[in-house]
Amino acid sequence: MKSVAFYGKGGIGKSTLASNIAAALGADGLKILLVGCDPKADSTINLLGRRPPQLLELMKQEKRPDPSKFIEEGFAGVACVEIGGPEPGVGCAGRGLIVGIRYLTEVFDIRRFDLVIFDVPADIVCGGLAVVMKEGYSESALIVTSDEFMSLYAANNLCRGFRSLGARVGGVLYNRSTTGGRRYVGRFSSRVGVPILGDVPLSEELIRADRARKTIIESSPASNLSGIISSVAKSVYLNSFSCVPNWIQIEELEEMCAGDS
Amino acid sequence: MSVIIHPRPSPVAAAMYTLRDLDADTIVLHGPSGCCFRPARLLERDGVRVVTSALLEDDLVFGSEGKLSKVLKRVDEMFSPRLIGLVGSCASMIIGEDLKKAARDAGLLNKTICCNVHGGSGDNTVGAIAVLREAREMGLISDEEFNRQRFMLERATRLERERGTARSEYIENWPGDRPKEIAKKLIETFASGGEVAFVLNAKKETSFLYADLALALASARRRFGGSLRVLANLDPKVGLPRVRSYSVKILEEFEAEGVVVDSITGGIDEYPISGERAKELLVRDPPDLAVISGIPHAVAVEGVMKTVAVSVGSRAVSNLKSLGYDYVVAERDAHQVSLGEKKQIRRSILGQALREEAAH
Repeated sequence: MKSVAFYGKGGIGKSTLASNIAAALGADGLKILLVGCDPKADSTINLLGRRPPQLLELMKQEKRPDPSKFIEEGFAGVACVEIGGPEPGVGCAGRGLIVGIRYLTEVFDIRRFDLVIFDVPADIVCGGLAVVMKEGYSESALIVTSDEFMSLYAANNLCRGFRSLGARVGGVLYNRSTTGGRRYVGRFSSRVGVPILGDVPLSEELIRADRARKTIIESSPASNLSGIISSVAKSVYLNSFSCVPNWIQIEELEEMCAGDS
Repeated sequence: MSVIIHPRPSPVAAAMYTLRDLDADTIVLHGPSGCCFRPARLLERDGVRVVTSALLEDDLVFGSEGKLSKVLKRVDEMFSPRLIGLVGSCASMIIGEDLKKAARDAGLLNKTICCNVHGGSGDNTVGAIAVLREAREMGLISDEEFNRQRFMLERATRLERERGTARSEYIENWPGDRPKEIAKKLIETFASGGEVAFVLNAKKETSFLYADLALALASARRRFGGSLRVLANLDPKVGLPRVRSYSVKILEEFEAEGVVVDSITGGIDEYPISGERAKELLVRDPPDLAVISGIPHAVAVEGVMKTVAVSVGSRAVSNLKSLGYDYVVAERDAHQVSLGEKKQIRRSILGQALREEAAH
């Protein structure tokens, strides 16, 4: 079994990439588990066409729910789990993630899959959101970023967090790539010592698929974008690189991104 | 940075004690059912109902303001309290629970003192000040009383850091000197015609334990001669009505037992500054032996005269010995002994040792 956890700035496209990559690998015949770790429970919508029951809600009702109640099969046979969590503004999503992941791995053997993908919300803002890496549920993290400064800023902050945890990073996924922006992500990647595993261009097609609650692999399997994502997915699955990343001082990052501003 | 690693008093417990002083009938602790278990049980002996919102893992993950509102409503139905104290805990405060919202949703905000503290809020006095601030906002105490109490609590915090158990990274436990030996020294001092000065410098209800020594000393002086001077922080005109009543009660018992108080050094909740007044009086006219009961480290006369320090807790007495008090006695757990609806002077270890030694 291989395992990766997707991290990156909020709204950068982690869930869209995670579900599309899961779909592409599932369509290739691999056994994939996608674990949505966001309280919004939106990681697996594009594979299932709807929000599945959330593990923490079920645990609230019946303490120890059977895995059959919270694991559903989505497009291309991808097994889907949503940990779930509190409503916005209340409770503790981080604590929820700790409780949910521990229970999931206790009652369900995730080693039966070829690849387990954890889709983790936003930045590492607390210990709970770092649990996937801290407690070793995922072998390595993938950092999703665009070439925008704030996205790279978040990516750098993640590298800092992973370094502090001693957690390993397998690569950078460059989302919403642009012709002029690659050099910024390239500089960042080389400076933190983590390779770019692939890039996915900004695409109306992907947005349309998202609105239809489908992956592009399902909605337009023959499209050029579908091919790009399948290639990125293979790169994610076959990638054997991982290292504890470096991070950059903010001044250096600002200078690096100043470019053509 | 030096970190104090031995156990320290909790701001949550201090908040609950202060709510009791404000005559809150019922205290709701918004936390797991085991939080502050021991102080909660002791306060129940003092006539205060203490309940918790019994938080469980689900409540921490999903939030529990709704559950808290229900608990508050239930408490109101069951006990019809005049005044409710609502205190946070580590668990509820870290997840950002809004105590006032829950009280408002329950329709009980106008009679609920909400206190947003948890175990990591800092010194225990932080909890007490938070309650008092809220009580002032609700018009339950005046600005003047709030400022007086805050001043005292801040002085108490400073005292703990400079001379109390917060002054060292770690303090070993020590059982104290043998009470029987100290009792002998007291009797020897009286028998040789010497003067013993007894300083009661205790905090609130714990005075009901520490005051016992005055009764035992007065009795021993009558039998063996010598003289006894009594200094006490029992000003009946200072403090909240509940704690003033403690001073009144102890003074009545003193009078009934023939104990004459020579100097009132301050109020029963003023031990940081009443200790300084006591020191001035002792230094001006040093006795042959000064017995300081309650919070002796507030009366910094060690090294100036022969001293006996009486306090509670093996870590506190260890600290007193290292400060330089000549003899140090560990008393019974003052809260355990003195809390209870029937307030009266309780027998102390050293008081009993003195009575027994005098009887031989």
